[in-house]
Amino acid sequence: MAPAFADDENPAKELLLQMADAVHNRNFDASFVVVKGKAMEPYRWLHAKQGDTELEHLSLLNGAGLEMVRINNQVTYFEPQSAPYSIATDSIAGPIPEVLFKNIERLSLHYDFVLGGKGRIAGRAAQLVRIESKDEYKYNYWLWLDAESSLLLKSAYVNHAGEMLEQLQLTHISVTEEPAPLLLEMLNRQFPTSLPAVEVSNKESKTAGNNWQIGWLPDGFSLLKSDRHKLDLNNELTDYYLYSDGFVEVSVFVQRPLPGRRPSGSLSSGATTVYVHNAGSFDVSVVGNIPAMTAKAIAESVARPL
Amino acid sequence: MTKADVNKLDNQHLSALLDGEQPLENQVLASDDAATFGRYALIGDAMRAESDNAFVIDISDSVAKALESEPVYADFSQKQAQPTPLVANGTANVVAFNWRKPISQLAIAASVAMFAIVGVQTLPQGENSSANEIPMLQTTPLTGVASPVSYSSEPALENAEQGLRELQQQRIGALVLEHQRQARVAYSLEKAHTKAQAEEEKN
Repeated sequence: MAPAFADDENPAKELLLQMADAVHNRNFDASFVVVKGKAMEPYRWLHAKQGDTELEHLSLLNGAGLEMVRINNQVTYFEPQSAPYSIATDSIAGPIPEVLFKNIERLSLHYDFVLGGKGRIAGRAAQLVRIESKDEYKYNYWLWLDAESSLLLKSAYVNHAGEMLEQLQLTHISVTEEPAPLLLEMLNRQFPTSLPAVEVSNKESKTAGNNWQIGWLPDGFSLLKSDRHKLDLNNELTDYYLYSDGFVEVSVFVQRPLPGRRPSGSLSSGATTVYVHNAGSFDVSVVGNIPAMTAKAIAESVARPL
Repeated sequence: MTKADVNKLDNQHLSALLDGEQPLENQVLASDDAATFGRYALIGDAMRAESDNAFVIDISDSVAKALESEPVYADFSQKQAQPTPLVANGTANVVAFNWRKPISQLAIAASVAMFAIVGVQTLPQGENSSANEIPMLQTTPLTGVASPVSYSSEPALENAEQGLRELQQQRIGALVLEHQRQARVAYSLEKAHTKAQAEEEKN
């Protein structure tokens, strides 16, 4: 059941909670595409509630692919270049921000929930709900919900000029009485056991905590983890910091400088920005679904501790 | 509304009713059953409605069925007759889904590869202050295709430059992939943090 907020009658928030409820309790089989500038990624998304067990499968259909499987509180990721692994968490980290399927109340400090207009999406009557950042350092997120079922029909990261940077659009959904056989099949499969519960304490010696000072982040972001490790693809060592404001994640990497000319600059694909900053004796890179201005400011605020 | 009534409506009236979506021919309409027509009309009503309670948010069985048979969706249900994947029936634990070994040397996840192709956008800048200017990096696809940008006319230097650009591209690809992976634990980490904080405040 969607929790009720006695002191708060925001209809936009209510709708979002209804969507979260629908997404967790319906049996559906959906297809959607994510459009990032000129690039496009098609996904298939299945969900079922079998008794008390939630089954979910999200799969990237183009290229080498990516499969994500959730059984209740365990999510398993199947990727082309590495062995499958599981995480103990109750939501899949796909193209839709996870918090939207949970209690969005926790975003209220830094985002407003605004009811938008009505429209027609995927042939259905849809209601627009806008999640608007209270400052200009983050993007806004718009969702179009089915007027009847509250299910998600479309969503988009929108910048402050009102341009859609990354759009997600459902192309098909069927809601059924019975769970898809494909999902029930999951119950008979063996999945890797979850990695040991993610170490919450940042007090471990492994952290990169004191190696660098990260001088600035937009309000609301807090450090989730930091460490020093090697990157998978190119084996480079990095000091790593992960921040989140509950809605978007930001990664900060501090690395040995690359040789030669290293112009600072930004790169973007859809809503994701990569800002590479040449700080002289070290390189800082910031990655996340944030505007380039914000990524630049974060990157340039990194300094050696005094 | 009966079918006869519906047939009397002229096309103009009709398309107004359907919110300017595809004007239907009378014959088409006649073959349409009144209930269907009513549903279209309802959707139109809901769309035009000013008040919030003009539509019902009701997660009921009837809605489920309506959704199921809703003709306006592209319906791929034919395809969903789940052809068991064309792959490896031998491996017992991987049959039903595509979680098999990568088909080829597509070593880089699609979303990462996309980064190398990057649509460069101009950013909305504040004032004209050049201090605020953000240079955009230009990169080329990881999968090859000659780089359009050349920093030098000397072939040897150019090769060196190219090598460096590749290094940078590799790094960016690695960073994006790492960000995606780390973001997967973010949600549970954040929840744990919030919980820990709440407990601390209690004590």
